[in-house]
Amino acid sequence: MSTLLRASELAKLPVVTFAGEVVGQIKDIVYAAGGGQVNAFTLAGRGLFAGPLRTAVAWSSVVGLGPDALVIEDERDVVPDADVLSAAGTSAGGGGGDVLRSRVLTDQGTALGTVSDVIIGIAGSGSQADVIGYEIEPAETLGRGRQRLLIPLPDTLAASAENLIVPASASQYLTDDLARFGAAVDSFRAQLIAPITGGSQ
Amino acid sequence: MQWWVWLILVVVVLAVLIGGFMAVQARRRAGGVIINDASDTAGRPDGGPR
Repeated sequence: MSTLLRASELAKLPVVTFAGEVVGQIKDIVYAAGGGQVNAFTLAGRGLFAGPLRTAVAWSSVVGLGPDALVIEDERDVVPDADVLSAAGTSAGGGGGDVLRSRVLTDQGTALGTVSDVIIGIAGSGSQADVIGYEIEPAETLGRGRQRLLIPLPDTLAASAENLIVPASASQYLTDDLARFGAAVDSFRAQLIAPITGGSQ
Repeated sequence: MQWWVWLILVVVVLAVLIGGFMAVQARRRAGGVIINDASDTAGRPDGGPR
């Protein structure tokens, strides 16, 4: 059983050590292009005049993640953001790897909408967090009005900063209900596996 | 000009500068969701569950 939450719910959460010291707040959520696993969080300072800190916390250093704070053991878990970001065009300053406001396309070339938020699933044990879907502002061609929809992602992602490619069948699992989205993701991924399983027997 | 006119001008300019700086910093603090190309690009080719 996993907990689903929107990436926007994590943004600006304070990052607190066991000693109670606040070392910053969450700025960016960094996830792997291939598997969708959340790797790290970049940090910003707190307060009206604070900017980005150029530091990050790796997911492996996270002790607890709740609705009010992200908890780490101590300040040694805060590392330079370059350590967790790739040199290949990804930067904490918004260098082009941000998926928010990117366009979602099916693998058949149909635009589904633009990303307004990212859905993250946290495993029950808290050992792993994965990007499992996007919240999109639907394209007019979908004929679903202006209500934001959730679209499930396959286990392997195809993504660049500008276009996020999903299988065409993902559009059959669109929902506006986060509570039912976990089941939609499971169904979507199961039907992706089915042809492979069937073909190998 | 009267001294108080200069005072008002200085206060207005300072308020605009401080407000602008705070707005820029708030924008720089705003978060995103970043794809990290360097990690785990192997993924799971079969699309199977984790």
